[in-house]
Amino acid sequence: MPSEMITLQLGQCGNQIGFEFWKQLCVEHGISPDGILEEFASAGSDRKDVFFYQADDDHYIPRAVLLDLEPRVIHTIMNSPYAKLYNPENVYLSKHGGGAGNNWASGFAQGEKLNEEVFDIINREADGSDNLEGFVLCHSIAGGTGSGMGSYILEHLSDRFPKKLVQTYSVFPNLDEISDVVVQPYNSLLTLKRLTESADCVMVLDNTALNRIASDRLHIQNPSFAQINTLVSTIMSASTATLRYPSYMNNDLISLVAPLIPTPRLHFLMTGYTPLTADHDINTAPKIRKTTVLDVMQRLLQPKNMMVSLSPDRAAQHCYISILNIIQGEVDPSQVHKSLQRIRERKLASFIPWGPASIQVALSRRSPYVHSSHKVSGLLLANHTNISSLFDRCLQQFDKLRKREAFLEVFRKEPMFKESLEEFDESRSVVDDLVQEYQAAATPDYVHWNPESSQI
Amino acid sequence: MIHDALLVLWDCSQATRKDPVVGPFANDGDSEMYGRICEIARSHHKIQNFVEATSFHARKSYSRPRNHGMYAQALSEGITEVLQSYKKTLLEVEGLIIGNHKYTLSFVYSYVEKYRGLFNTLSRIISTIKERRLVGCQILSLTHQHILNGNEMVHEAIVKIFANINKVFVNQLCSWLLYGEFKDPYGEFFICASEKEEEASDTFLSSPTTDHDKSLVVTLQDTALDCGYNLKTNMIPYFVPLSLAQEILFIGKTVILFGFDPSKLKRHSSAPGPSSSMVSLQPFGSSDARRFTIWEENEAEFHEKLQSLKNPQEFEVCNLRNVVREIKECVTKHLWTVAVEEAQLMHELQLMKDFFLLGRGELFQELLRLSSHILDNPVTRTSTRDMNHAFQLAARAVYLGNNPDIEKFSFELPYVKPNVSNNSSIGDDSSSASDGWSCIVLKYQLKWPLQLIFTPEVLARYNDMFRLLLRVKHTQRDLHRLWKTCKQSNSFEMCQLHNKLTFLVDNLQHYLQADVLESNYSRLLRAARGTGDFDQLRLRHHQFLHHVLSQSFLIASMPSSSDSDAGDVTQSPSSPVPRCVLELLQLCRSYCREHEARADTPAQSYCRRGRAGRYNVLVKQLMELLVSLRSSESGVFLSRLLMRLDYNRWLSGEARLTHSVTNMLR
Repeated sequence: MPSEMITLQLGQCGNQIGFEFWKQLCVEHGISPDGILEEFASAGSDRKDVFFYQADDDHYIPRAVLLDLEPRVIHTIMNSPYAKLYNPENVYLSKHGGGAGNNWASGFAQGEKLNEEVFDIINREADGSDNLEGFVLCHSIAGGTGSGMGSYILEHLSDRFPKKLVQTYSVFPNLDEISDVVVQPYNSLLTLKRLTESADCVMVLDNTALNRIASDRLHIQNPSFAQINTLVSTIMSASTATLRYPSYMNNDLISLVAPLIPTPRLHFLMTGYTPLTADHDINTAPKIRKTTVLDVMQRLLQPKNMMVSLSPDRAAQHCYISILNIIQGEVDPSQVHKSLQRIRERKLASFIPWGPASIQVALSRRSPYVHSSHKVSGLLLANHTNISSLFDRCLQQFDKLRKREAFLEVFRKEPMFKESLEEFDESRSVVDDLVQEYQAAATPDYVHWNPESSQI
Repeated sequence: MIHDALLVLWDCSQATRKDPVVGPFANDGDSEMYGRICEIARSHHKIQNFVEATSFHARKSYSRPRNHGMYAQALSEGITEVLQSYKKTLLEVEGLIIGNHKYTLSFVYSYVEKYRGLFNTLSRIISTIKERRLVGCQILSLTHQHILNGNEMVHEAIVKIFANINKVFVNQLCSWLLYGEFKDPYGEFFICASEKEEEASDTFLSSPTTDHDKSLVVTLQDTALDCGYNLKTNMIPYFVPLSLAQEILFIGKTVILFGFDPSKLKRHSSAPGPSSSMVSLQPFGSSDARRFTIWEENEAEFHEKLQSLKNPQEFEVCNLRNVVREIKECVTKHLWTVAVEEAQLMHELQLMKDFFLLGRGELFQELLRLSSHILDNPVTRTSTRDMNHAFQLAARAVYLGNNPDIEKFSFELPYVKPNVSNNSSIGDDSSSASDGWSCIVLKYQLKWPLQLIFTPEVLARYNDMFRLLLRVKHTQRDLHRLWKTCKQSNSFEMCQLHNKLTFLVDNLQHYLQADVLESNYSRLLRAARGTGDFDQLRLRHHQFLHHVLSQSFLIASMPSSSDSDAGDVTQSPSSPVPRCVLELLQLCRSYCREHEARADTPAQSYCRRGRAGRYNVLVKQLMELLVSLRSSESGVFLSRLLMRLDYNRWLSGEARLTHSVTNMLR
């Protein structure tokens, strides 16, 4: 089967969102928690094989690799009804089970140590697919395993599979509250460097924004991990909808990603979703709301529906590099054009001045097995220059710690930082360059931009 | 004297000569009277001659060439009937004269005088027929024209005659409408077995070949039911409007089609223009049963209604129209059941969209992966086989292998001997003209009676669309595959060029698939759900196809502004927009090929600069074209493409066209 995707779930966060993602896919494709196709779903024309493969006994098995250095989350998964879904050979737990202690360096070092075993699993999985298109990596950038080991795997995936796409769903830490992970700014920055250099496409899932959406839009006090993760899995499933429900276009990941990312390094995408409903909403308010394409597309452009919290930057005129809307549900195709025109007339979105850009709209079917109170739902994938403000905040936090030389001893314990802390400075300059480049991309002079000149 | 007169009136002696015998008249008045009588006699003689010439016996004996048929015979019979009263009058007069010798010529004249008007009209009819060599329905038409006459007697007589002719007409109509039988040995009906050269005389087909495309809807419709019958426009009675005549033609054709055994039809459809005898004989074969199921209980009713039209009082155009409408409704309903319910037309429409219009993107994505090397190279003898093999592999890969619908589709790559350049369609260099992309044909096995909608002409149009879409998708796929390479290179210029090309092709595809195909298709489906009339559906489908083709610039529905080399009406991109689009695709292709071959070298960057320049030129040209064509029929759609391409006003800024573009999109 062509264009398969292999999902790599790393660390606590990665496994949790991965778990939610597979739950969602199972529901959408009518696959039971044991991996057996439900009776009612046998006639579907959906493509389950992008993310699943069929074992000899007709079980659907996710093309997923679960990796963690500590057993807690994976054990929870293995004790859930979905335990039988996964291929047990693809679940890898570090033997000593001590975790990475929220330390990037420890995660990275352990990744190096376990390199052989991990890539054995990945290679086997890759061999099992017909025409592998790429990898999806789920992780958080703040912790130890997801960020450290994730960074290691990212660096080496592109070496081992130079032609395959690497897409990541990276969870950015919540900057509004004080984290229990004190070295979070270090971890984030070190991971960001790898995301910039080794990944092809990064879907930024900003915990700050997710929490804000949960409390402001869904009216949940103190949202739980599970509730946040439902939001994430909604986005993940919607962004893969065109791959799983075949239509006339966007049938593979590259066709989604390539138009969005015109230049190599500016590959951090924001997401937006509408309508947002929490679980309890669906039960209490079964009324059907009438939504048009234009409504959906306009709402998607509102910052409040954006899953990345951006600080408005008055100095620079930020703009969209590209936008892709994936709209699911019953939609009159002729409305799309009118909506595009309306948005253009009202100047609801400003675009880059140095190249062609537009809003692309992909219409997709939605799962017939999931009943939603909304006729139409939309996902926005956008490449926006203001995402640099997110990285800028990471830099600031990093600088705060770095100036005080705080908590550096945990890093010095690892061989990588024993000699020097050069890696920190290098990563900082990479991320700084990235911020500069994003800011330059908002101006017409970007055509003549090059990283060397900006450093002066 | 009186006897002379009677004899002349009886048409026993010749009254043609100018009577020299003036002497025996009692007075001058008598001579005048005799002259008048002779005049009547002369017209009678003429009429009588005509009657004899066209009567049943005359026709049977073949003494004359067959220029008089059933209608003329009916006319002569009608005239004979009308003349009966004249003859009765003569008998009466004769009896009176024999009884009383005192009666004068004027007495005789007073009896026959009233026939003057009638005879005049009749001889006018006859001479018109002779002069204009009218046959068949034209006679009917002519007679009908004379019905309205102030003279009560003439009026009644003509009505009688008309009734006679009308009988023939209604009988023909009846057997055509109800049984699809075409009984017209003398070529008198307004429908005829078509021959190819007939088309030239069809006035409703726009005659100059240059705007053939404009009448595409008409052409498509016209060919839709082409089973060898056509309208003969000069034969249509003046009181039958063209639309009604077309409806009548349609009903008969449909009835004939129902008579076809599906397997036989397939055999015949391959032979172009089946001869009339073959077609008309066909229905009599095994499938009578099928034909009669069309009418169910209504047959008797329709028959009666048609027969009642024989009564001239009943014969009004509106009555005829009503009956025809009723029958047509019945036929189309039946067609609907057969085509839409039994043959699952909706499903087939979906299939057409899925395959011809690349609705199943994943299948074609895989197919392109497996077959682009076949299509890139010039067609060889084995190409067709390889292509079908790849198609099956692709279908299996996306789990469609077991789908029965897959088997209905197959590809054909017509192999042409290399030295024969058949391809006038694309005015590019010869290397591209002979590759698989420009000649690939997707074939589709149709279920009977869907040939009614998907005629060879329609399928050819679908194939035009298919080739365009496949080309776009292929280009897009190649560009996407290079994305990763571009990302790894450090050259901004290269990224930018790649980005521009991808943007263009992506948006072209979005425009074609979403703006054109999806919205038109959804409109078609909505219309299809709303109607229960097959003919309506057929029309909608043709409109759909027409819109799709014109909006994707495959047919020039806009007047070719400048150098119109509109000689060939094939898929040739004679108008500038598709030429420009094709050139851009070509540019993308050559860009991709370059990159697959070599790594980043100085020579390549030189080439790249060349390409970037060419890109700018072409895009500017395209933009200018789109702007300049906005006033044309498809300008609305051009502006849609333009809006997609110029969403952030970058292209227009680049091409310094901002002002006019903003005007256009307003």
